Amino acid sequence: MTTPTAPTSNAKRYDAIVVGAGHNGLVAAARLARAGLRVLVLERRETVGGAAVTSELAPNVRVPTLAHTVGRLRPSVARELDLRMHRLSLVSPQVRVFAPQPDGRAVTLWADLDRTADELRAWSARDAAAYASFDATVRGLSAFLAELASSAPPDVESVGFADALLGLRVGRSFRALGRDRARQILRVLPMAIADFVAESFETDAVQAAIATRGVLYSYLGPWSAGTTNILLQDSVGNDGGAAGQVVFAKGGPGALSEALAGVVRAAMGEIRTGVEVRSFVSRDGRVTGVALADGEEISAPIVVSGLDPKRTLAMCDPVELGPNLVWRAGNHRVPGVVAKVNLALARLPVFTAAGGEDERRLRGRIVVAPGIDYLDRAFNSSKYGRMSEAPYLEATIPSLVDPSLVAGAPDGTHVMSVIAQWFPYQLREGGPAAWDARREELGDLVVRTLEEYAPGIGALVTACQVITPLDLEREWGMTGGHPLHGEQSLDQWFLWRPLMGYARHRMPIHGLYLASSGAHPGGGITGAPGDNTATEILADWRKRRR
Amino acid sequence: MARRYDAIVIGGGHNGLVASAYLARAGLRTVVLESRHVLGGAAVTEEIVPGFRFSVASYVVSLLRPEIIRELDLPHHGLDILPLDGTFTPLDDDYLWRVNDHGRTIREIRRWSITDAEAYEEYGQLMVEMARFIKPILSLVPPDLTSNDPRELLSLAPLARAFQKLPQRQQAVFVQLMTMSAAEFLEQWFETPPLLATMSASGIIGTFQGVRSPGTAYVLLHHYMGEIDGAFRAWGIPKGGTGGVSGAIGRAAQAFGAEIRTEAPVARILVRGDKATGVVLESGEEIAADTVLSSADVRRTLIDLVEPGILDPEFEKAVRRFKFRGSSGKVNLAVDRLPDFTSLPGEGEHLRGAISFSPDLDYMERAYDDAKGGRFSSRPYIDMIVPTLVDPQMAPAGKHVISCFVQYAPYTLDPALGTWDDQREAFGDAVVDTIAERAPNIRDVIVGRQVLTPLDIERSMGITEGNIFQGELSLEQLFFNRPIPGWAKYRTPIRDLWLAGSSTHPGGGIMGANGRLAALEILRAKGRRIA
Repeated sequence: MTTPTAPTSNAKRYDAIVVGAGHNGLVAAARLARAGLRVLVLERRETVGGAAVTSELAPNVRVPTLAHTVGRLRPSVARELDLRMHRLSLVSPQVRVFAPQPDGRAVTLWADLDRTADELRAWSARDAAAYASFDATVRGLSAFLAELASSAPPDVESVGFADALLGLRVGRSFRALGRDRARQILRVLPMAIADFVAESFETDAVQAAIATRGVLYSYLGPWSAGTTNILLQDSVGNDGGAAGQVVFAKGGPGALSEALAGVVRAAMGEIRTGVEVRSFVSRDGRVTGVALADGEEISAPIVVSGLDPKRTLAMCDPVELGPNLVWRAGNHRVPGVVAKVNLALARLPVFTAAGGEDERRLRGRIVVAPGIDYLDRAFNSSKYGRMSEAPYLEATIPSLVDPSLVAGAPDGTHVMSVIAQWFPYQLREGGPAAWDARREELGDLVVRTLEEYAPGIGALVTACQVITPLDLEREWGMTGGHPLHGEQSLDQWFLWRPLMGYARHRMPIHGLYLASSGAHPGGGITGAPGDNTATEILADWRKRRR
Repeated sequence: MARRYDAIVIGGGHNGLVASAYLARAGLRTVVLESRHVLGGAAVTEEIVPGFRFSVASYVVSLLRPEIIRELDLPHHGLDILPLDGTFTPLDDDYLWRVNDHGRTIREIRRWSITDAEAYEEYGQLMVEMARFIKPILSLVPPDLTSNDPRELLSLAPLARAFQKLPQRQQAVFVQLMTMSAAEFLEQWFETPPLLATMSASGIIGTFQGVRSPGTAYVLLHHYMGEIDGAFRAWGIPKGGTGGVSGAIGRAAQAFGAEIRTEAPVARILVRGDKATGVVLESGEEIAADTVLSSADVRRTLIDLVEPGILDPEFEKAVRRFKFRGSSGKVNLAVDRLPDFTSLPGEGEHLRGAISFSPDLDYMERAYDDAKGGRFSSRPYIDMIVPTLVDPQMAPAGKHVISCFVQYAPYTLDPALGTWDDQREAFGDAVVDTIAERAPNIRDVIVGRQVLTPLDIERSMGITEGNIFQGELSLEQLFFNRPIPGWAKYRTPIRDLWLAGSSTHPGGGIMGANGRLAALEILRAKGRRIA
């Protein structure tokens, strides 16, 4: 290997430095360490995990701080890193989606297709009949996308534009789809999710309950082109059919990060928290290490960024990047619209629409999105830089399936984790800075919205944590408060995620790699970008050693 | 006793006429059947108010293909396109006025923003390069990507090579053009509200999308494609209105021997076995032909004109799925004096181009939000033109006609509003009110008014749901997906029944490319020489 030449304050030499101990950074670090590289992981926060963390909301009450499910974790990652050995245990409830409606009814989607169809019959015989084939379609199409996601995108520069325009042909899998599916995917990927679900379902409530995954985390509405692609991307992974996955990590998502950190340490990797990296150090277009906020420099021939692409490129020497790339990086879109509200509840809330079966029906994702128009209106306000007056919510009550979260708390205590949309980072009145003054208003709005479906829930709240888009940027370093490190619209996807020409995890500065959600195949607790990056790094590493 | 032709062309719109001209030119005995008393379909000129002649629906020539103008020798048949100079965006107490004179435009934009003025140059050059790269697609029969026949993909090879020659930044910008919203694409360069809104407006025309909806950016290219066709002005208004274009193409077709019949509405397409054999007119007259080419939209052709039960149910489902969603209307005004804009009073040059009611992006999005709610925009985007300033013979001396393209006007109204027949005048009033906010004298100068709702466009021009492009130009309905995945080559499952309307690639606008490509495909299939 090349010996680092930059001045270094510590005798210890590293083969690779991973900046940011989010779950993707940790996956990459774990794989590199296991391959025998001397790895150093640097995390600015005091805890590892990034968006996959568990924190104490009140004494003995622990909540998934940001992400609440881990069902899309790439199976090969869990297997190859033996995360079970590192005490990761997953639980999945029977119910996937519980979507209460204002009229006291609910759309419930179960893991079991027949059971789901049986209950959909109450809404529409036609929808009930269509459900199984819709589920099969989603699985069929997302299986193909899984193939695309399984590795770094093809090299357009050398293979040629054919791959870009015909990108969807990559892999035999396209042909394996068969003509009809192949035509179908070319047609539906750019579609608006509202149109896609309407092709199978007639009931507004059913359409919306299913459509939500197409707009989750996005500055896009149900009528925006490309939202079908987002739903299908979300269905890539373990068990994403029409209903999507619901898998909890015992002890919260932090347990996943702890397990990953355990793998890194077990492989002699070193993890330092509370260490902020200020910039990536490079010379003659090649990375030589990182410079810390306190001025210290640490050298390594390989630097892996677990940060979002915008921040990553901003931490590079602009002279090395050149004006075009600086312009393009500056225009990478990170329109954050997501807020998080975590609640400690004295008792399990009672949802009118659960008909007394709260214990059973509230174990999955509780989706507040009664109707396509409701979603659309909630989205519209964000176009004008306003909070949604009637937001779209995805809530979970993880303590139902994982009592350990509230062990030691007063009997009956539960925790509720609520992802709320649309709350634009860029507020028209006052910009992002205005969020600090509006935190309480946001929390009240979310609880008030829940009240309409679970009367009395407000009175049960014993502790409340509100995380604004500004907090996501400040505390978690997500530029623009975007939880996916960049919009997952068609213009920032696949061959051009994060930027055309840099989709293969190699950043413009030689030896600098991007392993975060901002890279292909995108966000969510999947470990996929970190895993794919490690594969690319190790390929380059072996080449270099020959 | 049935008459016999080689080819019947259903619909005397510009695409049908173009197709008939190419078929006749190749020696096919061709007849065009137009249901109305006038030719032109949506490209038609009519005298609505005595003495005042209007381009009733489509009002500018967008991208009439140069090869068609050349091959059909249209100027010889009377095609004359008068240039429109510039775009004027009136605001309450200011305006943005861009003209063909580049220097003046830059100075005007600098009045708003120095950085925008600088970006404008760079942006313009970039777009021209993009347009030059993408333009061949307009003359390309879409390949079937799912085919295992390598020749299918071969047609894209030249594009692929061209793409690889592009610098990386331009490759990236191309991808953005194909996927981004017009507003977000433009915001990479510009900050001036009226500039952003007016430029992005071209991305939504005829679609049920907003300026912030992904997939609206690529239409921005059309303007620059026009620019590089500059040899013959591709942007402007035809002398005598858009009917003038249809007239010229019709005369060309007749010169090649095509027969044209008006007031000959087709009731049914005759199919024997799996083959089209002719048509029956509403009069009961039967006309037999070896080939039937329909320039009507895909739904009207295959659902309304074909006997039920002939199409495979799956295919029929796909046809019914094709989205139309008319989203725009047209208000034509006869006036005895010109509108007087408070922000720039008088009858100046600024009235000779397009007058765009598009003050800022929020205004455009609110107009769209109304439409998503099933209401016509209370304050719509209006693209206004005063044709009589460049073509005075359209109105009595000293008087004028004003053409207002209006968006949004959703075909499907919120039931609470009743039907378009109940809302027509209210819609017209909303348009006049919007104009009056910037040109208060408009109410006093109107001597006649025609309001065209999507329902009217459907009724009079027979376009499903009144979509001016015979179907949404949304990403999933473009190129190899237009109109039906697997059926983008102008063929239909019924042998010898072909499509040539705007429902097919490359979509709408007075381009004529659809008609030409369809005709050439037919001739190739028949092994005929193109002529």
